[in-house]
Amino acid sequence: MRRRGRTILTAMAGAVLAAPMSACAAQSPDTLRERAATALRTGKYEEARSMYAGLADRADATTADRRGLLTVLTETGAYDDAEQRARAFAGSADSAAMLVPLGDVLLLRGKRAQAEDAFRRGLAAGTPDSLTARLRLALGQRARGERDAADAALDRFIDVFNNAGPRRLTSSELVAVGRAVQALGTRDPQLFKDALTAYDAAIAADSGAVEPRLLIAELFLEKYNAPDARAALEEVLSVNPQHPRALIGMAHVHAADGAPGAMALADRALAVNPNYVRARALRARLLLDLEQYAEATSEAVRALAVDSTAVEALAARAAAAWLAGDTAAYTATVAAARRHAPGDAELFVLVAESAARARMYRQAAEIAGAGIARDSTAWRAYAVRGVNLLRVAEIEDARRHLERAFRGDPYDVWTKNTLDLLDELARARTIRSGRFEFVLDSADAELLPVYLAPLAEEAFDSLAKRYGYRPEGLVRLELFRSTADFSVRTVGLPGFGALGVSFGDVVAMNSPGARGAGSFNWGSVVWHELAHTFTLGLSKHRVPRWLSEGISVFEERRARPGWGADLTPSFLAAFAEGNLAPVSSLNDGFMRPKFPGQIIMSYYQASLVCEMIEQEWGARALPALVAEYASGSNTAEAVRAVLDLELNALDARFNSWVREKFEPRFAAIRGATPLGTGERGGGLGEFGDRLREAEERLRAGDTTAAIGSLERAKELFPEYTDQRSPYRTLAAIYRARGALRDAERELAALTALAEDDYAALVALAKVRLTLRDSAGAMTALDAAMFISPYEPEVHAQLADLAEATGATRVAVRERRAILALDPVDRAAAEYRLARAYLQAGNRDDARRAVLRALERAPSYQQAQELLLELRRTETPGRSR
Amino acid sequence: MDVPESAGAGVTGARQVQAVPSALKRCWAASAAMVALLLGGAPAPSLDAQALGETHVLIVSGIPGEPRFANAFHEQARGLASALVVRHGVPRERVTLLAADPSRDPSWISARATKPEISKALARIRLAAAPDDRLLLVLIGHGSGSGANARINIPGPDLSAGELARELASFAPRTVAVVNTASASGDFASVLAGDNRIIITATASAQERNETIFGEHFVAAFTGDGADADKDGRLSLLEAYRYAQREVQRVYERDNRLLTEHARLEDDGDGRGTASPRDESGDGALARRFVFGGGVVAALAASDTVLAGLLRQRAALEQRVEALRARKDGMDAATYEHELETLLVKLAEVDQAARARGGKP
Repeated sequence: MRRRGRTILTAMAGAVLAAPMSACAAQSPDTLRERAATALRTGKYEEARSMYAGLADRADATTADRRGLLTVLTETGAYDDAEQRARAFAGSADSAAMLVPLGDVLLLRGKRAQAEDAFRRGLAAGTPDSLTARLRLALGQRARGERDAADAALDRFIDVFNNAGPRRLTSSELVAVGRAVQALGTRDPQLFKDALTAYDAAIAADSGAVEPRLLIAELFLEKYNAPDARAALEEVLSVNPQHPRALIGMAHVHAADGAPGAMALADRALAVNPNYVRARALRARLLLDLEQYAEATSEAVRALAVDSTAVEALAARAAAAWLAGDTAAYTATVAAARRHAPGDAELFVLVAESAARARMYRQAAEIAGAGIARDSTAWRAYAVRGVNLLRVAEIEDARRHLERAFRGDPYDVWTKNTLDLLDELARARTIRSGRFEFVLDSADAELLPVYLAPLAEEAFDSLAKRYGYRPEGLVRLELFRSTADFSVRTVGLPGFGALGVSFGDVVAMNSPGARGAGSFNWGSVVWHELAHTFTLGLSKHRVPRWLSEGISVFEERRARPGWGADLTPSFLAAFAEGNLAPVSSLNDGFMRPKFPGQIIMSYYQASLVCEMIEQEWGARALPALVAEYASGSNTAEAVRAVLDLELNALDARFNSWVREKFEPRFAAIRGATPLGTGERGGGLGEFGDRLREAEERLRAGDTTAAIGSLERAKELFPEYTDQRSPYRTLAAIYRARGALRDAERELAALTALAEDDYAALVALAKVRLTLRDSAGAMTALDAAMFISPYEPEVHAQLADLAEATGATRVAVRERRAILALDPVDRAAAEYRLARAYLQAGNRDDARRAVLRALERAPSYQQAQELLLELRRTETPGRSR
Repeated sequence: MDVPESAGAGVTGARQVQAVPSALKRCWAASAAMVALLLGGAPAPSLDAQALGETHVLIVSGIPGEPRFANAFHEQARGLASALVVRHGVPRERVTLLAADPSRDPSWISARATKPEISKALARIRLAAAPDDRLLLVLIGHGSGSGANARINIPGPDLSAGELARELASFAPRTVAVVNTASASGDFASVLAGDNRIIITATASAQERNETIFGEHFVAAFTGDGADADKDGRLSLLEAYRYAQREVQRVYERDNRLLTEHARLEDDGDGRGTASPRDESGDGALARRFVFGGGVVAALAASDTVLAGLLRQRAALEQRVEALRARKDGMDAATYEHELETLLVKLAEVDQAARARGGKP
């Protein structure tokens, strides 16, 4: 259902933008009408309201004047005024024409019975909006669960369209037809396409029509097709940048894309229409994502005060109650929704989606299941249940639900993508190893377990010991060679930029081959995601995002030198300027970043919070804090219980701790330009001055002076590891001079801080080899494998070193890795593996490996000699 | 290892075979035929009829365009020529190298790689070649065009596949192998295919027009040790193809790029190349027999009846290993392993005895 974008409403916009807007009493009514209409279309609501009010009060006021006024009032949330005026208009001479607008205003207030009465009266009085009235009545029937009668009524819209043809229907009639067939789409998904056809026809009938564009966008959003939704919304917003419904649509697009700005767009919509229920509901949803349950409840309650029947608001209220563990409020809200819409599953879908965003995947699947029980044609509920079952590794059940969803609605992009992903997963290799189940692309299936299995087991033991928690079953680790597949696994759509995600006992991440070998440290990602598995499990999935991320980064740093985020000047600059979120609202740093880069900084910031807690409260504090959430505590309660602090005190303590810990670094970057405005994203103070000085001296050929500047820069900010890092430049200088011991020192320091500098590790190994430091070279190459395990030459080098130094376990591992890379010279690789096995004292595996070598190359002399040697030295009497 | 500038035929390198004067190789060829008879006609892989004739090589390095290609093409062409002589025993005088810029290495490059010079070189080889000799023609450069008009870009007018087909027609019935490492080279297979023809192309079709890396890996098969998959001390064109193809895939996978060159090998004459040739039939069978190196053992066996007997045993054991492998899928793993080990131990002992008599493969 992807479509090309339409041309922007150029003609309309041109006319609108050319004329300056101002209410002018002296103008003729027709001129005033034209200007009022233009003001309304372009979002100059105050002007429009003023002009339409004047026109509507005139004795010669037209229906269009009155409708225009009602539109302004409803779009700006003046619902009381709109209702009063609509009632007054409905009692006037053109009551037939005003009854449907009255009904629409009443619907916005949740006065459904009165609204339906208005629609019926309108029909009886021969309203020109008869199709709209019929549509509203049918949708009302549907909401009440009178599905058959409603569908019969909606079905008649198809006849209307077919009998009249698009050219004989007005734009608003075509909108009604489109809305009717869209509703019937749950019965026959082809009707979704017909709905688009009707909306297109509505636009053709009135090129300036906003409603069909909004409906198109909302339909695409319903199908998780954010790009096409965005295109339709941009058409509306290009003419009226203030349109509240379009702003909320765009906010949903941002939320779907995982892009920042959704909350700001919702706020803009509320600035125009403070009573806009969908905007409040969206704010509530976004606050839930920030784990601010009380604030979300408050927003939902405000929305329900406007329209107590609004399903999005009810869903937000229910989700907030559910997430906060307020069962009574949840039950009451669900009951309220049931009274208003007994056969509707949407509330459950929305609550399930909120639960999933709060990482409670199994519960999300259960809630979606409740929706299916309510409405067996709620395809989205099947999809949400399927996706969340997949997240808890109930693969077959997940597939069953997703296939059911797809049969009902083949236009749901998330469902389609996820089913495609399941097909890919079916082709992947599943390997059980100890306490893990690895799901790997066939290209990785032989190689990665060589490293993955011991690493994962080590992480398991380390984390289980520290957190006192053990996952009950196997932990499933899926590594995707395709970033798109990983993204679909995570968010249903391509484009998700993270490296890994933990659903609890199921972890999905990019394979080291997914982004071009050497672009990230896949070992640290494994460790990071497994740490989530433990913190999610220990907290019953209630640990807040910031703490879970902080612990994961902190645990990375503990796992290996260089792993995990490190201090950067930009972090300190942001901290010094007060741009980072305080600990008490650190989720904002992840979910609602104020500037580019804040999310990355928030990971590091959260890890520092964890470091501080462990340093100041002891090793048991972090596990205790995580465990505290399992009982339903919020962060304030957990911090109070475990750290005996109020949140504001924790904020203050952290600030002091950071300032004290990094005091010399703050001094080093003092004078740094504000974030984002300086060269390379911000100045670097004295540290930056020394770097620049070194670069200038190097350009001038004064290497000795450059070394002085670089040493000073290193002293000022030793954690700095980006491309201009003093370590890197010094290492290059020393290598060029043949001062290998100095080069080794710099490269060692660099790689102890930077987790993904493959080139530096390989260079370090080379330097150490030249210095005859085999053990050191091995250490460097060993670390390099977690950045790129795909270089046979590096494996061979490490294997040779391991054999030479008697590190037989490493030698065997590396020889196995070479074989896993499917070398052309497989016979030689098997032979070398056989030798490694033999060196490790594993004669059986040595014999099998040498047989495999000779099976492929029977005349392979060295392998033959090894085979004969194995026979000669075989223990007498041993049988095979 | 590279060849010194002054080197000619008979330069000693890493392996013994390359030190043998070409005249003796002729002698070996005859001896090999005799040993084949001694072995009771068993088709021992090392004594195939394809190994009996001499190999003539013409390497054409085309227009590079950019400097980086100039260096790459030259290194490939020069490296291949050198490796064929030094490592694989092809006599220096039977390796002809034509390049876009002969001044880069006049000791190796005999003329500019223009169409007339290519014609002259081919004519010269044709005149010198015995009926059982064979030709390896390697084209390095950029390609364009399609069908019979598929071209390799050389100084002056390009050389098309159709023109090359006409040039090569008179080589029949000799075996001719054409390796086109250029972009858009795929259509050379259908145009040049025929009896006793091996056509290797870097791409599957003329539509694959991105620069290729197949050439550097094909050359690496000759310059390094990794391509001799069966460890018999000799390199077949099939092994070289497989090596290059696998390495190309590996590089693309490592760099997380979509493969934009799909190498093909055609040697069954149907004009349709295959990506994964087999050993015994269809595409791959002829390339498997187009072998560089070897022959020493057979030469010695002609005058040593004990060695000849060992070689007979060896050939029989190899056949039994091959037969066992063919039955592997239907066998219990332990039984297979046991039988395989028994055969391989016997084979190792036979080879050890043969080597003790100087019969190194």
